[in-house]
Amino acid sequence: MSARDAILARLKGASSPSLRAEADALLVAPERPAVDAAALEAEFLARLALPSVSATHDAIEDLSALPDAVARYLAAQDEPPALCLPPDPRLAACDWSGFTLHERPASDGAAVLAVARRGIAETGSLIFETGPQAPMLPNFLALHHIVLLPVEAIHPYLEDAPLAGPQPRAHYWITGVSGTTDIEGTYVRGAHGPRFLHVILLRGC
Amino acid sequence: MTGFKTRADAALADPVLKLAVERTAGTAEAKRALAVEAFPDFERARDRAAAIKDHVITHLGHYLERFEANAIAAGAQVHWARTADEACRIVIGICKAAGARTVARSKSMLGEEIGLPHALAEAGIGRIETDLAEHIIQLADERPSHIIWPAMHKTREQVSALFRAKHRAPHEEESIAAMAESARRELRSRMLGADVGISGANFLIADTGAVCTVTNEGNAELSLVPPRVHVVTAGIEKIVPSMGHAIPLLRLLARSATGAALTQYTTFYTGPKRPGDRDGPEEMHIVLVDNGRTAMREEGLAEMLRCIRCGACMNHCVVFRQIGGHAYGGTYPGPMGAVLTPALDGLERSRDLPHACTLNGKCQEVCPVRIPLPTLLRGWRERSWREGLEPVSARWGVGLWASIARRPRLYRVVAALAAGSLRLLGNRGWIARLPLGGGWTRHRDMPRPEGRTFMAQYRKEKRR
Repeated sequence: MSARDAILARLKGASSPSLRAEADALLVAPERPAVDAAALEAEFLARLALPSVSATHDAIEDLSALPDAVARYLAAQDEPPALCLPPDPRLAACDWSGFTLHERPASDGAAVLAVARRGIAETGSLIFETGPQAPMLPNFLALHHIVLLPVEAIHPYLEDAPLAGPQPRAHYWITGVSGTTDIEGTYVRGAHGPRFLHVILLRGC
Repeated sequence: MTGFKTRADAALADPVLKLAVERTAGTAEAKRALAVEAFPDFERARDRAAAIKDHVITHLGHYLERFEANAIAAGAQVHWARTADEACRIVIGICKAAGARTVARSKSMLGEEIGLPHALAEAGIGRIETDLAEHIIQLADERPSHIIWPAMHKTREQVSALFRAKHRAPHEEESIAAMAESARRELRSRMLGADVGISGANFLIADTGAVCTVTNEGNAELSLVPPRVHVVTAGIEKIVPSMGHAIPLLRLLARSATGAALTQYTTFYTGPKRPGDRDGPEEMHIVLVDNGRTAMREEGLAEMLRCIRCGACMNHCVVFRQIGGHAYGGTYPGPMGAVLTPALDGLERSRDLPHACTLNGKCQEVCPVRIPLPTLLRGWRERSWREGLEPVSARWGVGLWASIARRPRLYRVVAALAAGSLRLLGNRGWIARLPLGGGWTRHRDMPRPEGRTFMAQYRKEKRR
């Protein structure tokens, strides 16, 4: 008997025809921290500012203002205007003159820009999915992770994180910067990945 | 003799260990309390989490088959392993087929449970531990002492000395931030060059075939995205019906472990890289490991399979806080380890663990999935008794007590004698030395009986 058959043989139980209904019933009215649905942006920004997330933010009214917002942030951080840019047509349409752009992430010095698919007010999480226009690795290598998030993509709860359509290779939630408490429980930012997370809210379309 | 008493004695005599454990576990306890306070529905959320896990454990076969079908449809290869050895052989086989010289490992307690670090070494495959604590443990050639903070037993001074001896460009400034930076420098180039990335799974999602990992460091993603092959080893109990079912559990996991609402990075991997993707592995393998879990389900330990490995039970355990994790001798320490180790390693080798418990119930109070840990520990004690594993002196002592306790008149006489003679030994409320009771009085005094026995006082009051 194969290992598979041996394990499954020991797990055979009465299969219930109402299994799906039983599973669905477990998700009715979940307990979760309250989020004011009428003030999603404020709720989201409040969670972003929590010490456990410790992200900064800015807002722009339209996409053409993005390069200026990024330049402002990098200048304030004393970083050169160099950026790893994913192959996303919305970003390519912006005017990046004055920037040194890479598609592949360089070492720690580089900042990376990414577009989040959703924001979750409950936790201040940013939701990403991989695809031809959205590589994953740069978001974990750079020291500064700069994220563009359209305000209409902010949803209240983690249950809103799954996106419609086929599953990508990776669907991931980022809720803060790379951190560790592995030495005496003391919190240190930038363990392996980004040390800074900066969200730029896009208010217009 | 299981060696537990020797290890516990050594741990109790080590003041540095106590300091290190207290610093991290104390912080974790305080932060969890704040997180629970900020989540008013926490108690009902625990009921739901337990119900989700119970549903899955009851229908485990069904959900595993669904998971397998969906993971294969997404392009992953699914393997099954009955035992730890079988699991290691499969992983080593995949690594060899990939021509791997080095693997990057993202912390996984299941990997520790099946002895994967040892198996990789035997196969001559280099291992890069990418979690900071696991990196410390690897440099020190030790085993994890906690499931969330594997290097909990090390002080900053010890870590500093270790990094100075082993890192290529160690920290100059004596601070924890500088030490973490030194590990970042040391590990980054090495982990990006690994041939295979190996992780565990916090959840397996049946309806999509996805594997979920959570980390705060982002080391899972840095270990699993660049290599050509991603291997997952996961216990079969990690399954949930859908991502929706993982969410209530995720809400409790980080709150119970570190007091955060969520870990910094939560990733769902579904199959290998897709056409057009800019990064990701060419192959994804998932090894589903039983290693005693089906037997636990059959033998009255199904509730233990609810465990989501948050570590809250050990952070709140008075015994763990005194002796740390290594004294337990198994992969998993603390209360959950005292239940799991007899199931994984055999009761005859670990019968001391269920006894190393005061049954104060704190672990059950904080367990996010309401595992009745004290009841399960008592179950092991009873079984140890039934199977004749308890030492002769204990059997004789309890037997004597039982025969006296069944004869009330005799019991009263003996109790009165005992109370009277204990009063003679004591001085101002406390007894410093007790004949035959050195195990107690070596570390603390015994309270001196207040007066006569309860029954004697009861009768006196009744006569009034």
